[in-house]
Amino acid sequence: MSALTRLVRRTIALLRKRELERDMEHEMQLHIEFEAEELARTRGLSRSEALRQARIAFGGVEQFKESGRDARGTRLLEDLAADARYAIRTLRNSPGFAIAAAITMALGIGVTTALFGVVHAALLEPLPFGDPAHTVAVWSSWKDFARTWISYDEYELLLEQPRLFDAVGLYTVDAQSLTGSGEPERVHAAQVSHDFLQAIGVAPALGRAFLAAEDVPGSNDVALLGYALWQRRFAGDPSIVGRSIDVGGRPTLVVGVMPASFRMPLDYTQSVVTELLTPLATTAADNGAIPGPAVTLGGGSHSFYAVAHLAPGVTAAQTNQVLRDVTTRLTKEGAYPPGWHFAMTAIPLREQISGGIRPILFVLLGAVALVLLIACANVAGLLFVRMERRRRETGLRVALGAARGRLARQFLTEGVVIALAGGALGLLVAWLGVAATRAWAPASLPLVASVELDLPVLAFALATTLGTVVLFALAPALAATRVHPANTLRDGGRGATSGRERLRARQMLVVGEVALAVVLIVGGGLMIRTVQRMLAIDPGFRSDHVLTMELSLPSSRYPDARVASFFEELRHRVDALPGVRRSAAARLLPLSSEIGDWGLRVDGYTPPPLESTPGDWQIVTPGYFQAMGLRLISGRTFDERDQTDSPPVIVISERMAEKYFAGRDALGGRVQLSRPNGPWAIVVGVVRNVEHNSLIATEKPAFYALESQWHAEVGFTPRTMNLVVSTVGDPLALVRAVRGQVRALDPQVPLAHVRTLDDIVQSSVSQQRFAMLLLDAFAALALALAVVGIYGVIAQVVASRRQEFGVRLALGATPDALVRLSLWDGVRQTGAGLVLGALAALVLTRLMHGMLYGVTPTDPATFAVALLVTGVVATAAIYLPARRAGRIDPASALGAE
Amino acid sequence: MTDRIDLLQGTLDLLILKALLPAALHGWGISKRIRLLSDEVLQVNQGSLYPALYRLEDRGLINAAWGISPEGRRAKFYTLTARGRRRFAEEKASWRMFTGAVEQVLGSS
Repeated sequence: MSALTRLVRRTIALLRKRELERDMEHEMQLHIEFEAEELARTRGLSRSEALRQARIAFGGVEQFKESGRDARGTRLLEDLAADARYAIRTLRNSPGFAIAAAITMALGIGVTTALFGVVHAALLEPLPFGDPAHTVAVWSSWKDFARTWISYDEYELLLEQPRLFDAVGLYTVDAQSLTGSGEPERVHAAQVSHDFLQAIGVAPALGRAFLAAEDVPGSNDVALLGYALWQRRFAGDPSIVGRSIDVGGRPTLVVGVMPASFRMPLDYTQSVVTELLTPLATTAADNGAIPGPAVTLGGGSHSFYAVAHLAPGVTAAQTNQVLRDVTTRLTKEGAYPPGWHFAMTAIPLREQISGGIRPILFVLLGAVALVLLIACANVAGLLFVRMERRRRETGLRVALGAARGRLARQFLTEGVVIALAGGALGLLVAWLGVAATRAWAPASLPLVASVELDLPVLAFALATTLGTVVLFALAPALAATRVHPANTLRDGGRGATSGRERLRARQMLVVGEVALAVVLIVGGGLMIRTVQRMLAIDPGFRSDHVLTMELSLPSSRYPDARVASFFEELRHRVDALPGVRRSAAARLLPLSSEIGDWGLRVDGYTPPPLESTPGDWQIVTPGYFQAMGLRLISGRTFDERDQTDSPPVIVISERMAEKYFAGRDALGGRVQLSRPNGPWAIVVGVVRNVEHNSLIATEKPAFYALESQWHAEVGFTPRTMNLVVSTVGDPLALVRAVRGQVRALDPQVPLAHVRTLDDIVQSSVSQQRFAMLLLDAFAALALALAVVGIYGVIAQVVASRRQEFGVRLALGATPDALVRLSLWDGVRQTGAGLVLGALAALVLTRLMHGMLYGVTPTDPATFAVALLVTGVVATAAIYLPARRAGRIDPASALGAE
Repeated sequence: MTDRIDLLQGTLDLLILKALLPAALHGWGISKRIRLLSDEVLQVNQGSLYPALYRLEDRGLINAAWGISPEGRRAKFYTLTARGRRRFAEEKASWRMFTGAVEQVLGSS
């Protein structure tokens, strides 16, 4: 019989208890009657004599009933129910204790559950791809670029590895404008190769995927809609499939709708939701000069992302080994210069999406476990006190023959009741925590923001709840049953001192709680320092009072030549608004995008062998430097002199001047931006370096070119630009006015990402800030719990030494001396806790290494502050109850009981 | 009562299973049958039969159901389950082995 059916049978037995009792009684009585009838018949006894003998032969009915109950296997459950009833009754008699214990456990279990929810959502919840475990993103890497775009030639290289991949998809991402009926709208879009959906293992919810025949220029006016877009713009009308919509001003046939769960692999890291798919339809130029497998340096631009599904039995590690061999061979064959360190890597999607947050979450999980430990220590302290009060009861029961195991089980049941109450309240705490996380999780961690209290998380909460019982109730329960009935009954609680051993257990709790609090406060402190240090970095621009928004000009209505004049016109209009200092536009905003580099030729500079002359390219309109507060170091910025047809000019970064114009004046220097025989641009100014990709990345050489001149120089015009408006007052107050000017100029131009530059800077440290907020919340909670715990233990120690202190007072001790004695005891334990905590923190904060910036895991200042704060707060928590030692009245203390 | 011997620990289960092998019996019937089969030599302590029955039922070796006895009384009848039958065969074999071994020891000079 399986354990389950036995459990079911026993549960039924438990429910039918009364019936079973009746049956048992009936059955035994019947037996005695049958026996009596037999005796009467065979031996000719009278009925009453026969009954008497039958009863004797049967033995003690009650005794057999009792062992019969045991035999049913329901005994344990019945005892448990009785224990639970008893526990609830005794807890109801001491509501203060019960409430304190339950709230403490609720805090511990609640925060642990909420954080587990976050871990579950970010690391364990399956990604919405067909086979995420075997789907990889493939990246190229170069010197200075760990993960970057691949070229079409490199994609072809992947296609030639059928042993590695059974499907390879290629894509790019951008934003598209939806016009036609309704408000113009800008949505995140991806251009995907026809086999892309097969590679990620996702099928449209409605309609069909792209055909190979649609993945060629000229036949590619087809689209797949994202689910939310379909609901929002087309009211979820299924007949949209087969109809035509306006995408970027071109009529486009809708062939299907993606499922609601659909995300592009990059959506997670770029915190967007892609809502429109169109075919990639690469042109011959994209594909490189030489069609087919040959890989060449000019093999199309490096502008694609790749995703691939591994062939059965192939691992990511094997794939990377093969890719390494292939790229090494290519470099040897001369396809790429050796100095570029070309390589390709395959990264499992899970790792690409949550690899960055994983170590942070593990640290947070560790931190929350420490909080839970403190909560358990607190409740253990309370239980010790409680057991102490019940020593006489326990002693009496042992003396009357109660088995120690049985008593311990009863005390443990009390622990279970406390834990369950705490767990139930803890769900409320967890729910609040989850709601707060959803509201405040950084946009860069969309998986974290998807946290919910679902079944696995609730199961975790239950397991944690039951697990804590072992932590907080086992030791007190065992200690409580280790009584010598003779002693406890004799001294009747009048012992002058509490048993040393019992005191020591409680004092250890003080040491432990202080130590745990120190570890958490050091961790929280290190994160505060990290965020402070990062925000203290000068990004090279002024982020306050700047409003930004993204505008995109459709090529259907804005030929290249018209783009610059649109922004020029817009600048005039916005600059005229009251409260605006200066406005301009730029291709990319710092700290909100990754900037790529552009191959340059600098007159008079020869790159070292195997290296080139790259510069990060930023395209701006005049006034950008003023609107962003970029400091000019020498020369000038762009102005009225620089027109579309005037000689091309550029402004370069300090870093570029140092590197490519070392030892000479950069001003007046000549830089070629395109083909070897193209025009030379003159350097007219040098500005401060800007932290573009991240606050903590090393700055690379960068240059600024004019939107109006870029087309003449290289042959295309960026048409998605970011408007930056430097304002006098609150930048957000100008949103309506600026939007109004854009609409007045062209109501069809979609605008997106309206935010302040301050927000952009803040969100660039959002992961560190997220870790800081949580760690500090845990540290604060830990300290609060520890204070309550320490206060409770010291108060109890003082109370239990009441009689001893009474004697001391009677013998001439001063009240002050008793206060000092009590205080000194607590301070010694606190000191031990501080030392232990500092040692533990020295080891544990190493785990935070990757999360920290500008501060070492063993930062002495942080340690000093953490020790000081904990020490002072703990001493205060000791001093308050210790004072009571001085207020003891010897007469009443000795007369008590 | 020197002509009656008390049961060895653990043999009661075996005897109950054996008693139930041919047909369903009520509690008293089982004790009677054991006495009969052993020519009144084995004395089942009558009361201790019941905890043993409940234990066997809890383990799923026997089933219990209310019925009417030949005497016309409402009584609880026990039957062997398939599992009980299998268990009986196993217990019997190991009992034989055990008594055989003891016999061998006692028989050796």
